[in-house]
Amino acid sequence: MPSISHLIEEFIRTFPFFLKPLLLTFELTFASVVVGTVIGLFVALLKISKFPIGPIIANVYITVIRGTPLIVQIFVLYFGFYKVVDLGQFWSAALALAVHSGAYIAEIFRGAIQSIDKGQLEAGLSLGMSPAQTMRRIILPQALKRSIPPLGNQFILSLKESSLAAFIAMDELFAMARRLSAETFDEMTFFLIVAVYYLVIVMLFTYLVNKMEKRLAKGDS
Amino acid sequence: MSEKQAMIRVQNLKKSFGAVEVLKDINLEVKKGEVVVLIGASGSGKSTLIRCINFLEIKNGGDIFIEGKSIDPKKDDLSKVRQKVGMVFQHFNLFPHKTVLENVIEAPLIVRKINKEEAKKEAMQLLKKVGLEEKADVYPSALSGGQKQRVAIARSLAMKPEIMLFDEPTSALDPELVGEVLETMKQLAREGMTMIIVTHEMGFAKDVADWVAFMDKGKILELAAPHEIFNHPKEERTREFLTRVL
Repeated sequence: MPSISHLIEEFIRTFPFFLKPLLLTFELTFASVVVGTVIGLFVALLKISKFPIGPIIANVYITVIRGTPLIVQIFVLYFGFYKVVDLGQFWSAALALAVHSGAYIAEIFRGAIQSIDKGQLEAGLSLGMSPAQTMRRIILPQALKRSIPPLGNQFILSLKESSLAAFIAMDELFAMARRLSAETFDEMTFFLIVAVYYLVIVMLFTYLVNKMEKRLAKGDS
Repeated sequence: MSEKQAMIRVQNLKKSFGAVEVLKDINLEVKKGEVVVLIGASGSGKSTLIRCINFLEIKNGGDIFIEGKSIDPKKDDLSKVRQKVGMVFQHFNLFPHKTVLENVIEAPLIVRKINKEEAKKEAMQLLKKVGLEEKADVYPSALSGGQKQRVAIARSLAMKPEIMLFDEPTSALDPELVGEVLETMKQLAREGMTMIIVTHEMGFAKDVADWVAFMDKGKILELAAPHEIFNHPKEERTREFLTRVL
């Protein structure tokens, strides 16, 4: 085990090297969560839709994504995107992560939508609103609010999972740790340091999500 | 009886949930301005009947005529039909993410597509009518049950319906809050609103109803003027029910 003082020294020395990767990790996470949220909402609506083929498509997508390892998905999607439509490295990686988290986000939204009291739909319909208007104006706003805490968790998962992008040539946090450990043969030091980076970000974010959750809970009856 | 138009006519209505037949051959006619109160034990089909009239439940057989037109839930635009038929629910079903005023203007804005100023003006008049104009900007969670139900009535009236359906509007209320909701409904009746009301408030039924229908096991067993039903019930089952609730 490296000593604490050695870890701190190396942390401070290499801090400038980690800044850009840190930013890239954030960008990857943020892009994949935003796109994943759009995918998730679309798939959730497909899954509860009345078109007979909608739920089938949604289920196939969710089953495949949840049933295969993320690293495999990343390689397949990355090379798929990269070679077929060439979106550039960043977006290929971000989309691969988004398609992955989209499946989980879809289930978050579906659960939230179905948790809204049936009386809300009936009230909207009884006022002459169409089912689509009721969904958009009445059900979704309430469901999205209920989705925020689990979406926060998904964000944390996505942040950690973005480390797998190191394997498709993204110079994010974990890639930097691998490079520094390869250069210095001081593997433990840099993997511990990168663990601290992730841990601190996750703890900060958890704190923010909890705070937001409390504030949202206040508005509820 | 015949000079006034039937706003609602229900003919041989049948409704089942799975193997359970909830409505068996229901016939009912409600003319313009009439108040019909449905009474009967829980499970007798009262709520299902008015939910069928608003097509929140889809009938298995028979016909429902709204203003003389038979409605086919598969073909007709139910939104159009429901604009004429307001509904008030036992559990209010106010939109919790919207203020009282926003609850009331929602459907006029989205469905009637009137402008916001006009919608607000109408809404404030309705809130005044139900005695809640000073609550316009609060959220439903800050209201008592009776206030919630009065907002729900105002919200429904904002669509200018021809007919109002009330599904046990006071059953979820604390006893001391029942009166204010019944008073609002009485006022509507005096103004000539056509109403079908499911309720357990027998005193209210006596006061307000033109007709009282006693339902039992999915059938309308007896339909008569309130003094007839309450003083000289013809059916044994009606008598039994009334001795239990009066």
